[in-house]
Amino acid sequence: MKVFVIDVENCNGCYACQLVCKDEHVENDWSPVAKPQPDTGHFWIKMTEKTHGQVPKVKLEYAAKGCMHCDKASCMQAAENDAVYKRPDGLVIIDPEKAQGQKQLVEACPYGAIYWNEELQIPQKCTGCAHLVDEGKEPRCVEACPHDCIQFGEESEFAGLIAKAEVMLPEVGTKPRVYYVNLPKLFVAGLVYDADRDEVIENAAVTLTCKITGKAIQVATDDFGDFWFKKLDAGNYDLTIAADGYKTYATSIVVNESLNAGDIALTAK
Amino acid sequence: MSNKSSEVKTYYKGLGFCGFGMGSNSAEVDVKDGKVLRIRPMQFDKKNAKEEINPWKIEVRGKTFEPKMKTLLPPFSYIYKKRMHSKNRILYPLKRADWDPNGDRNTENRGESKFVQISWDEATDLIAGEIRRIHEQYGPYAILSQGDGHGETKAIHGPHGCQKNFLEMLGGSTTQARNADSWEGWYWGIKHFWGCEPIGQGLQKNMWWDVSNHTKMLLYWGCDPETTTWGWGGQNASRLCRWFKEIGIKSVFICPDLNYAASVWADKWIPVIPNTDAALQLAIMYLWITEDTYDKEYIATHAVGFEEMKQYVIGEEDGVAKTPEWASKICGVPTYTIKALARRWAKEATTICHCNGGSYIRSAYSSEPARLEGCLLGMQGLGKPGRGALKFIEFGQYGLHEYYPCPRSKVIPNVAGAYNGATYDISAQFLPKTLIPKAILGDWSVENPMTWYGVTSSGFPADDQFVEYQYPIEEGGSELHMIWTDTPCWTTCWNGGNNMIKALRSPKIEFILAQHPWMENDCLFADIILPVSSKFEQEDIACDVQSGAFNSLYYEGQCVEPLGEAKSDYECVCEIAKKLGVHEEYTKGMTYEDFIRRGFENSGCQTLMSYEEFRAKEICVVPTADNWEEVVPGFGDFANDPEGNPMTTPSGKLEFTSEALSEYFPDDEERPPHPKFIPFGKTHQESYLHPRSEKYPYLLESNHPRWRVHANMDDVTWLREIPTCKVRGRDGYMYEPVWINPADAKKEGIAQGDVVKLYNERGWVLGAAYVTERIMPRVIYQDHGARLDPIVAGESDRAGANNLICPTNTVSENCSGEVTSGYLIAIEKVDELELAKQYPEPFNRPYCPHSGQILASRVLEEETRKV
Repeated sequence: MKVFVIDVENCNGCYACQLVCKDEHVENDWSPVAKPQPDTGHFWIKMTEKTHGQVPKVKLEYAAKGCMHCDKASCMQAAENDAVYKRPDGLVIIDPEKAQGQKQLVEACPYGAIYWNEELQIPQKCTGCAHLVDEGKEPRCVEACPHDCIQFGEESEFAGLIAKAEVMLPEVGTKPRVYYVNLPKLFVAGLVYDADRDEVIENAAVTLTCKITGKAIQVATDDFGDFWFKKLDAGNYDLTIAADGYKTYATSIVVNESLNAGDIALTAK
Repeated sequence: MSNKSSEVKTYYKGLGFCGFGMGSNSAEVDVKDGKVLRIRPMQFDKKNAKEEINPWKIEVRGKTFEPKMKTLLPPFSYIYKKRMHSKNRILYPLKRADWDPNGDRNTENRGESKFVQISWDEATDLIAGEIRRIHEQYGPYAILSQGDGHGETKAIHGPHGCQKNFLEMLGGSTTQARNADSWEGWYWGIKHFWGCEPIGQGLQKNMWWDVSNHTKMLLYWGCDPETTTWGWGGQNASRLCRWFKEIGIKSVFICPDLNYAASVWADKWIPVIPNTDAALQLAIMYLWITEDTYDKEYIATHAVGFEEMKQYVIGEEDGVAKTPEWASKICGVPTYTIKALARRWAKEATTICHCNGGSYIRSAYSSEPARLEGCLLGMQGLGKPGRGALKFIEFGQYGLHEYYPCPRSKVIPNVAGAYNGATYDISAQFLPKTLIPKAILGDWSVENPMTWYGVTSSGFPADDQFVEYQYPIEEGGSELHMIWTDTPCWTTCWNGGNNMIKALRSPKIEFILAQHPWMENDCLFADIILPVSSKFEQEDIACDVQSGAFNSLYYEGQCVEPLGEAKSDYECVCEIAKKLGVHEEYTKGMTYEDFIRRGFENSGCQTLMSYEEFRAKEICVVPTADNWEEVVPGFGDFANDPEGNPMTTPSGKLEFTSEALSEYFPDDEERPPHPKFIPFGKTHQESYLHPRSEKYPYLLESNHPRWRVHANMDDVTWLREIPTCKVRGRDGYMYEPVWINPADAKKEGIAQGDVVKLYNERGWVLGAAYVTERIMPRVIYQDHGARLDPIVAGESDRAGANNLICPTNTVSENCSGEVTSGYLIAIEKVDELELAKQYPEPFNRPYCPHSGQILASRVLEEETRKV
């Protein structure tokens, strides 16, 4: 059974995946796998982006999202007439003939991965480029990604990655077969300096403690005085900063979004 | 060449945008039933065994970096069939409806008049007639030949500048000397510091190797390898950024915006106020001098004129010590961060990264930060291991291995033997591109000529900057009366488009002939437009030296028939040549086959295979040179032996105080003998330190665009769906995003998606707010190059073409570089629905939100067609 594994760590947000999908499917008829996609409005694979943080501690999170080729696909449940089927290799396909008029499939997908083609009156989505896979070729998005973020292949090949991967919306129970690795979640970052000497403080011990679990992480500020805590869950935290010769700084922070805790001045003892 | 399915034929096509025959972004284009089916990366190992091409490997710090066996195309390559089929394609010759060469020319209506379709026969009759008349009445220099990049890269078919060669044959024309755009600071500034002729930028040879082995910190200074590189080489630059991070090199981005590369690769972002880098640089020098942390021995043996520079930095010259406190107020970087940066730089091997320098070297007085960059690199031993300047684009420029940062290739191929576009030589009468509006709008004569210094074209030696030229010239010179332009985008790409619009409407300019595939930008101001075909529609020969993997030379077959009545730029010129009875003389009887053969035989690849083999394989992939690791990187030869390997400066050394500038321009306050921080002066007042900023309180950063290459591809539906490409207004129009920090947005009462006006004395342009933490406070950012959509032509624009309102004045008094970023504006929210009532015609033109302005809005007969 084939799966997709998407490692977002090095996704640079180039949108090549979103665009080659259009190159392959707009005005190209791949029946019986897919009819042509309309020129605009469909994103069978969609680049998503989110800005994290505040000046100057800012990062972009990019992730490609589309059909999850679920084992228990909602679209298969909602389809009439066997219009949606899962192939032996795992790819879920909407039959463009049988699915005529079945607009209900659009709402059925919890991932928003199905789009309505008004002109052809059919629901459409990512096919995993099944027509290319059947010729021994890669899906277009996989081929185009400059950082090999999107991989497609046998489940067994990716056992190691899958073990540490997440899926989107696991709670809806559709058993998606697109696995995500290295989702960034949230960060807390800042800079520590000595206001009197007007110098950054290197090697200050910065500790972030989750108020609920009590779990503490510690990092040292670098030679720019910066610290970063990455891949955090949202929550309430205690932030303390300690450095030799300085009074310890302590504060509480609420992390709903990634946070620049600011340029924090330590006072000398 | 076909793949398994016999109905599909695959072609090689170079889809890069440099022009001048300097190719990149090589793709495999599948064609079926007469149309382009898909576009995929080119595979290097399709026709060659891997061992044949001798793949390189960089193995350092326990990790390996090696090229992929395919090109890493940017989005622009994948969408390119959309560009071919744009609703904006000009498919037949057009004539401005109210331009009558035998009657009224109505030049004041240019930009507003509509066009009508005419036949090729009628078009070439009119054109030939005008050329003959102008030659007889004024002489050949009355025609301005504007033919330059950037756009599609072709060899046989131009562009840019087929018309120049043709006009030279007929006795000459005024050459538009393309100012060294994108290189302003390097050309006008750092050339006087380190020479590095002919390009003036830092030596690149084997720099990937050097940085990988020795560099500890990279300063991406006004550098976005996730954007600028897309038109020039694709996404290997992105892999390189990732590689440097993975081997532990600290990646610091110094720029006003969190640019696209910074947003994913930066270890640290240091926001800096536009065009104040010189203050930051001087503060770093100050710290190194006062803390004694610079390479004094190196300065003693490798530099001259340091003492005067030192006196300026420590405050002995002007009473102002260039301390971090002094700098911080100007540049917006906290004092402690300036100190941390200076300390780390002094301690560890540091290399500065650029694409071409971006807004950093394309602003007022940009000669100065460019020279100061040289000073900083010099003070830390430029050319010692890990210490240099790294460029992410334009590998192998001018065919020079000195400018090839990748592992050395056996050959840097070129297509000069097949190339019909403009070359860099100039006619007896020429005009720097940056001075064309001034030339047209002024009353110049031989008795009262316009004067300036330097040819200004890239590649001209530094001492040419001390030669004064004039317009018109004494011998047979003439004011301009005709412009012949291809791929025209002056108004949205150069310095002060609104001024250029005024110039284009001058009655002095009796005829404007444009040739271009799309109705966009300066085409709006033409009198006749000839329809040009796209890359897919003709055969050619191409090279790719910018993939960052392997160089290549390949045959480009014709994928599809030309659309409508389109012809290539070269063919357009041929049609005119026929009418003037000089076709044979112009073409010299060369067929396309002849051009391809001559191109191959002069490419460098003739040393690797025969022509027959090249035609059979359709591609030559150039192997990596043996022993490439031994190439001394960058400035290493100079560092090791400055006497034996001098710089091309008068002294042969790094000139902290320039000997030539001291001699020729000793009193130039705007480009003094040693570099300085110059916030404002006679030529520019674009600074927070100037009272003008009370009225215009923001600096506009106008970058090389993310979703265009300059003015190209503004009409691609698939790109315009991307949130950072366009923002929909309440009127359904797709506006150019304007990045504004949330604090400024709050202050100005601007919310996400609001339509806003950016303005100064030169006019105003619209955009829609993208409220984001990706831009520092007090700075507004809007990409350059949006396709013109004039509201009142010469005053206002709906599309956000901010080059219309940038300064017309050049870098400084004696430096004719353009200033297109880092200038003062004000911003205010506007009501787009009210504006539509105020300006009904421009706001109600036929329009398609998916692709923008469409041909139907400009061509009379098309108006009634369904959009």
